[in-house]
Amino acid sequence: MFETENIPHKTIGRIAAIVFIALAVAYGIGGSAIDYSFASDPLGPRVFPVALSVVLGVLGVLYLIRPGTSEGFPSGRLLLRVLAVPAVLVVCVALFEPAGFAISIFLLTLAVAMLFGAPLKWAVAGGIGHAILWWFVFDWLLEVYLPVGLIFG
Amino acid sequence: MIRMFSKSMAGAMILAASMGGAAFAEPTKPECLAGAKPGGGFDLTCRLAANSLLATHEISKPMIVTYMDGGVGVVAYNHVISKRSHDPNLISAASSGSALLIAQGKFGKYDETAVRWLGALGADYGVLVVNASSPYKTLSDLVAAYKADPKSFAVGGGGAIGSQDWMKGSLLAKAAGQPPKEMRYVALEGGGAVLTALEGGHIKVGAGDAAEMVKHHAAGKVRILAVMSPERLPGELADVPTAKEQGFDIEWPIWRGFYVGKDVPDADYQWWVNAFEKLSKTPEFAREREERGLFEYTVLGADFEAQVKSDVSRYKTLASEFGL
Amino acid sequence: MNMEYLWQGFGVALTMQNLLIGLAGCFIGTLVGALPAIGPINGIALLLPIAYSMGLPPESTMILLAAIYCGAEYGGRISSILLNVPGDAGAVMTALDGYPMARQGRAGEALTLSGLASFAGGMIGATGLALFAPVLAGLAIGFGPAEYFVLMVFAFATLGSMVGSNPVKTLIGCVLGLMLATVGLDATSGAYRFTFDEPELSDGIEFVVLVIGLFSISEALLILEHQGRGVTVIRKLGRMMVRMSDVTKSTGTALRSACIGFVVGVLPGTGASVSSAIAYTTAKRISDTEGTFGKGDVRGLAAPEASNNATACGAFVPMLTLGVPGSGTTAVMLGALMLYNIQPGPMLLTERPEIVGGLVASLFVGNFLLLLLNLPLVNIFARILTVPNWLLVPGILVLSIIGVYSTHASVFSIFLMLGIGFVGWLLRKAGFDMAPIILGFVLGRVMEVNLRNALAISGGDPSILFESDISRILWGLAVLVAVFPLVLSWRARRRNVRMTAE
Repeated sequence: MFETENIPHKTIGRIAAIVFIALAVAYGIGGSAIDYSFASDPLGPRVFPVALSVVLGVLGVLYLIRPGTSEGFPSGRLLLRVLAVPAVLVVCVALFEPAGFAISIFLLTLAVAMLFGAPLKWAVAGGIGHAILWWFVFDWLLEVYLPVGLIFG
Repeated sequence: MIRMFSKSMAGAMILAASMGGAAFAEPTKPECLAGAKPGGGFDLTCRLAANSLLATHEISKPMIVTYMDGGVGVVAYNHVISKRSHDPNLISAASSGSALLIAQGKFGKYDETAVRWLGALGADYGVLVVNASSPYKTLSDLVAAYKADPKSFAVGGGGAIGSQDWMKGSLLAKAAGQPPKEMRYVALEGGGAVLTALEGGHIKVGAGDAAEMVKHHAAGKVRILAVMSPERLPGELADVPTAKEQGFDIEWPIWRGFYVGKDVPDADYQWWVNAFEKLSKTPEFAREREERGLFEYTVLGADFEAQVKSDVSRYKTLASEFGL
Repeated sequence: MNMEYLWQGFGVALTMQNLLIGLAGCFIGTLVGALPAIGPINGIALLLPIAYSMGLPPESTMILLAAIYCGAEYGGRISSILLNVPGDAGAVMTALDGYPMARQGRAGEALTLSGLASFAGGMIGATGLALFAPVLAGLAIGFGPAEYFVLMVFAFATLGSMVGSNPVKTLIGCVLGLMLATVGLDATSGAYRFTFDEPELSDGIEFVVLVIGLFSISEALLILEHQGRGVTVIRKLGRMMVRMSDVTKSTGTALRSACIGFVVGVLPGTGASVSSAIAYTTAKRISDTEGTFGKGDVRGLAAPEASNNATACGAFVPMLTLGVPGSGTTAVMLGALMLYNIQPGPMLLTERPEIVGGLVASLFVGNFLLLLLNLPLVNIFARILTVPNWLLVPGILVLSIIGVYSTHASVFSIFLMLGIGFVGWLLRKAGFDMAPIILGFVLGRVMEVNLRNALAISGGDPSILFESDISRILWGLAVLVAVFPLVLSWRARRRNVRMTAE
């Protein structure tokens, strides 16, 4: 693979391993509590999830013992910028139906472009371009349903 | 297809909001909601209404079919109840499977009284099939064999425990005096998989719908032992006796019909009922219905409301009897 | 052997509409492959809902998606050669000799030669598929629940034995996929599992949502993070004509690699990244007598390209005959069939020959179209690599949102996709690969349902799992693929020991 510098980040691996073990426990408990009247097969709906939780638990422990290497998270401003992308996405998706395709997509593409370091002027142009282009392609050309909202109604 | 969908959905929502459902005559933007993916049973139900209403000029604008997949219609049911209960333009597809789910409490938090039931326009019937080379020629043969050795019978159907196909298998077990709980039921993915499993010899009996099995019955690949209808079905199934004729009190109609929101005004509800009433008497409709493999079954308005309620309570009794 | 379906398929594939769809697919596929930001899996996952909502008939959709898949295997080489960044997972090995060639001013030659190798691989793969599919479909009628379960065991054994450096991570990925697959209505008992009373989860997690989340959303975050680490595009392509001597030199390698690729493709669960690695190392072991591999050897370039294209075709064999994906990408295409309410499986070939035949025939047609697109027009694709990320990534995000929204018209599924994407990013940061999750998700469902159905048939007697010849052969194969790599590494270790001893 196109190797980025693989820093041995054992802590990340360990944290991940603990998360997996916790997940295995929670999933196993959830799995053993599945509500059903009866099953025609001897296993029923609970056995498979419980078995999976055991497997994940074992793998989690193995992983905890030998966490190996991982890329490591960015820090400082870069981390904030990366985390801002999902935040922007959540806001714009929440706006998707009430405000409509054009507005939410414009805001989304504008914000993401700026996070990628585009100058404001270009980002605005890009945002308008994206909103119009995709509306044209999907609604007009491909006739895919998109929420109209406040513009293009 | 989806374009119509787009304009309609937004349009209908605005309309429902602004007019509060004040359409007394023909709906301005008729729409049918199918709680599934295109191509499924609900789609077929919607298309039956959409095509035949237009062909008979009951509506002047084409009826839009929209799709809302999820939980065998639950998502659509919740949507109609919570967001569009006033919308007089909207009818939604349902089947006896919906009533079965309601009876089992698997239809979300709402029961059958949360909507107004409009009418059924056609039905399919349950069937029991065996491989063409199977030694069982009649339902009596099958029941006797099942009774003798229920443990050697793998019964396959296109759905999970509690589904319509499972219920049909359970009716067989019940006829043989065996507990349905102990039936070796194999839940397969749809009628096609049931046929494959029958032909491969993995299951001994298949439960399914008449329309889906008739082609393979006619081609001699499988044998339909009984249809679960009150009378014999027409066409290629005319030679297949009903379960009743063979002395078993087993009926399993699968009606296909519609509901509207709870708060749709009486006048609009009545408009739809009248339209279906007129529609059901036309030859165009009969042709459209037959094309979709459905048999005649028209129950409208108050009769249908009563029918759905009695179905739900019947299913409730069966479900508890079968140990669900 | 009955090849009727194939002739019927050419009738489907050669209609004007499907030719145009195929051409569009080839173009999009090459683009998707060339751009490092999107690979064939999310390319198809993005296009699938759109094709479906356009109301294309199923065979046309399959032709479109197959063209994208094959196109991506062609296109991946472009960025491998020019950027030293593989455009998709199957093109990782292509960079090893392709980029050095480009640095030597032979980028044009490398592109042409790898294009020809891709064509050879694609044609051999398509031929293999056309011959092999009816044979396997005939066998597949004998597949009952027990046999399917054992087939899944075999698939997981294959997957487990071909994992890269960290088997624990791959296995955890598989288990996560298996766990995600348990969400929703249990197909056997009718119980709701892990739905948290949310009706939108009652049918389980939609495949498109999972794939787009895992691949597109997490990729967007990674691109942003890696943006600072500039890469240089080699803009001077040099002459495009290849030397005859290079062609003759690499022909043998290409043919052998195509066969390896096809076989690996047929194995359920393994895709182009595995096959190109095997093909490259095999070529290196056999032909690298002068130590030129890795420094711009044409055979090192031809091997992975021939094999990844053959793999793409081979992966269709289990998908079309057994309803089991041969690779992550065909897993998505299975999802496409399901979207049309078409149950993939052994009956598909007899009941819907136009779909199987159309797809197979379109692969032959598509390879010619791709050769045309990828030799004279390669310049266009090379130029597209210079589109800046601030323009490209928002576009991918918009496509992801539309893709999910167009199948469900629900904002809930978009949020679900975003959540999955964020978790996917965290996992990728911790060094996890996404493909095992997808395969676990698809194969897991088949595995559980069939195991339980088999036991329902037998009344709980597990001997049903060993009853038929097919099951026993599959058990044997599963043990074989699980043990084989161990034997290989043991032998390698012994050889090393001996060499150090000498």
